[in-house]
Amino acid sequence: METIWDINKIQEILPQKYPFLFIDSVVRIDAKNKSVACVKNVTINDYFFAGHFPGNPVMPGALIIEAMAQASIILFAVLKPDIAGKRPDYYLGKVEAKFRQPVRVGDRLILEVQGEKVMDKGGIVKALAKVNDEIAAEAQIVFGVKPK
Amino acid sequence: MAKKIDIEEMKKDVKALVAGIAEVPVEDLKDDAAFTEDLGIDSMMALEIVASIEKKYKVVIPEDKIPTVRSLQNVYELLGELLKK
Repeated sequence: METIWDINKIQEILPQKYPFLFIDSVVRIDAKNKSVACVKNVTINDYFFAGHFPGNPVMPGALIIEAMAQASIILFAVLKPDIAGKRPDYYLGKVEAKFRQPVRVGDRLILEVQGEKVMDKGGIVKALAKVNDEIAAEAQIVFGVKPK
Repeated sequence: MAKKIDIEEMKKDVKALVAGIAEVPVEDLKDDAAFTEDLGIDSMMALEIVASIEKKYKVVIPEDKIPTVRSLQNVYELLGELLKK
């Protein structure tokens, strides 16, 4: 998959920064169908593996949700570039998630986000986190957007 | 041809939908209760309500109409208008 947005462009959009940035690249943007796909390469260098868990590195489910939420911001920025360009605050309203399988070191985590309803002040999206085309986690996310 | 809508059925369904999202028992949900003040419905819940109604009734609720919807009665009126179109 080809990189459409590199890390520099991603950092312009996402307010989250290292070590809380969980998107490495954006590989698909389809504004017409309100969907994007992003990648997080999971490596042993990810700081959370030091504690989660020693000898058994598994990506925390909460951080998979965070990665999905960050991919949702990317989608918002694609659909509402003028608002995203003003660097608003993004916040989570509700998350309903299911975890299907663990995400481990070496996995290429693909975060697919499909917009259900995206408005100026927030949105509802369906997100899938996949590894090798298999679903590792899925969620419905409600988020808000507030100008600074 | 105008769509046939059973208003009473629609009210019942919308009420159940709002009660579910607001986590309020259907029997406690009055048509004129204020969403924010009486029911504690915040902007995120409002977004869920809008998305659920749009999905169920295949309508689009304009974003600028959302702040004008402050009670179930307002929802019935707005949805009634949208379904007539």
